[in-house]
Amino acid sequence: MTYAIEAHGLVKRYGDKAALAGIDLAAPPGSVLGVLGPNGAGKTTAVRILATLMSPDGGRAMVGGHDVVKAPAEVRKLIGLTGQYASVDEKLTGRQNLVMIGRLLGMSRTTARSRAAALLAEFGLEDAADRAAGSYSGGMRRRLDLAASLVGRPSIIFMDEPTTGLDPRARADLWRIVHEQVAGGATVLLTTQYLEEADQLADEIVLIDHGLVAARGTPRELKARAGDRRLEIRPERDAEKAELILAEVSGLAPHRGEDGLLSVPLLDPAVSHAVFRRLEEADVPLSEHAVRRPTLDEAFLALTGAATTGRTR
Amino acid sequence: MTAAPVTRSPRRTDDVRGENVMTAMPSTYGRRSALAQGMTLAWRSLVPLRNEPGRLVQFLLQPIFMVVVFVLMFGAMSGDPEHAARYLMPGVLTQVALISTNTTGMNLAEDIVNGVFDRFRSMPIARSAPLAGRVTADALTTAVTISVALLAGIAAGFRITATPLEALGGLTLLLVFTLALSWVSAWLGLKARSVASMQGTATAVLLPLTFGSSAFIPPANLPGVLRWWSSVNPVSHLADAVRALLTGAPVGAHVWVTLAWAAAVTACFVPLAVRAYTRRIR
Repeated sequence: MTYAIEAHGLVKRYGDKAALAGIDLAAPPGSVLGVLGPNGAGKTTAVRILATLMSPDGGRAMVGGHDVVKAPAEVRKLIGLTGQYASVDEKLTGRQNLVMIGRLLGMSRTTARSRAAALLAEFGLEDAADRAAGSYSGGMRRRLDLAASLVGRPSIIFMDEPTTGLDPRARADLWRIVHEQVAGGATVLLTTQYLEEADQLADEIVLIDHGLVAARGTPRELKARAGDRRLEIRPERDAEKAELILAEVSGLAPHRGEDGLLSVPLLDPAVSHAVFRRLEEADVPLSEHAVRRPTLDEAFLALTGAATTGRTR
Repeated sequence: MTAAPVTRSPRRTDDVRGENVMTAMPSTYGRRSALAQGMTLAWRSLVPLRNEPGRLVQFLLQPIFMVVVFVLMFGAMSGDPEHAARYLMPGVLTQVALISTNTTGMNLAEDIVNGVFDRFRSMPIARSAPLAGRVTADALTTAVTISVALLAGIAAGFRITATPLEALGGLTLLLVFTLALSWVSAWLGLKARSVASMQGTATAVLLPLTFGSSAFIPPANLPGVLRWWSSVNPVSHLADAVRALLTGAPVGAHVWVTLAWAAAVTACFVPLAVRAYTRRIR
C-alpha cells in the first residue's frame, strides 16, 4: 500500500536529548492521522521534519511519495502547513495575506484574488477580510492561518496543535474544516494534546511520549486496550444496599466514584442484567446507569504510564 | 469548495486530489518566477505603509524631523544657518539613510519569530525570494526616505550647488553604501533570537557609526578619542563624499574610500547573511 505520509525510524536530537527516538508513522491517502502526546513528546519536531523545515538525524520520511530530505521541493508542492503559532503577517489584512500566498504560488492576480475571496467566505472571515490580521482574535487568526495553508489546495495537510488555546466554538469550527478537507480527499496529519480531538477527528492515532511511539491504533482500539468496560450505577438511595448487590453479583469490589457513583469492571455482559434485576427487587431506584468504555483520557494514562499524568492537559 | 482554477497545479483540483497524491507536479520554478516571488514579497513588505496611515506618516515624518532638528535648530544655534545647512544637510541624509537599514533586520527577525518564515519555507518558492524581497523593499523605502529628507532640506534652505550629475552621484553613493549596510542588518536579524535583541544590537552599531562621524561635526572640532574614532569611521568618508558631491566641493579620495568600504562590507556580509539564511531555511 502506498501512503500519503510515511516515516520510518525518525530520529532527531537536540544536543544529547532525543526529541524523536525512532518513530514510525503511516497515513493512507484521504485519512486523518492523529499524533497525540503531552507537551515535549516530539510532536512538533515530527511535523517540522515531515514539512521539510528540519532534517532528521536518522530514519526516513516520505510525503506524497517524495523523500523529505532528498526531494523537499517536490514535497513542498503537495503540502500545507498550519501551526500552533499562527504564522500570518500581522501587518497585512486577511485578504492580503491570502492573495500574497496565491501570488507566491504562481497564481495570476485575478485567480489569487478570487481564491482569497472564496477562502475568506468559507472560513467566515469576510467581515474581517480587510482588517490587519494583527487585530484578529485567536480563533480568527488560526482560521486565517489554516486558510493560508489551503490556498494552493494541498493534498497533504499538516496541522500542529491547530486548536491549542482556542475556545470550544472556535475549536468546533476548526474540526468542521478538517472534516471538509478530508471529505475533499486530502490527507491530514494533526497533532494534539487533546484526546477528545483525536477521538473526534482521527482515523488512526499514534500516541507518542518521550520521542517514542507508546501506542497506535484506531480510537476504538486504543480505548479497548486501555481496559475493560465498566458498569456504572448511581443509586438514588440505599447506596450501601446497592453496593452490596453490585459486589455480590459481579464478585468484585465496586469502585466508589463522585456523587455516589458506583462502578465495577464488566467482564460478563450478563452481569448488568442481573444487577438491574436484583436492584429492582430490592427496590433501589437508580438515577443513572451505564455501561461505559474507558475514555481516551483513561486510555492515554494507561498507555503512557503515570509519568505523564500531570502533563496530559 | 467553489474555487477559481489554480494555475499552479491544474491537475490537482479537488475532484482528483485523492488519486493524485503520488503524482509529481510539473516542477521547475525558473528565474522568472523567482523574480516574481521576490516582487510579491517586496510588495508585501511595502503594503503595511498603505494599510496604516499612521505608519506612513511616521515613516515620512522621521526624515523631516531630522531636518528640522539638525538643519534648522542646530543651524540657528551656530549663528550662520546657511553655512550650517550646507554642512549638516548631507549629514542628515547620511544619518536617515543608514538608520533606515534597521528595518531590514527587524522585519526578518519578526518573520522568523512569528512563524511567517516557516510558512515561506514550507512553500514551493525560490529559497532566495524572502530575503531578496525584503532587501528590495528596503532599498525602495530608503530611496523614498532620502528623497523626503532632501525635499525637506531644500525647504529649509539647503541648496544643491553641484552639477545634477554630481548630485545624482552623491545620492547613488549613499544608496550603495546603505544597501551594503542593510546586509549587516539582515545578518543581525537572521541571527537574532528576538525582534528586541535585533533592534538593540542594530542601534548599538548604528548610533556610534552615524553620530560618531563627520556627518554633523568635523572631526577636527572633536576631542581625543572621539576625533580618532570619527576620522577612522567609514561613515565620515561617506558623509564627506556626499557633502562634496552635493555642494560641488572637491571630493578627494572620499568616494573611493566609501566604495571600498561598501565593497568590503558587501563581500563580508552578503555571504554571512546568506549563510545564516540558508541555515534558517534548511
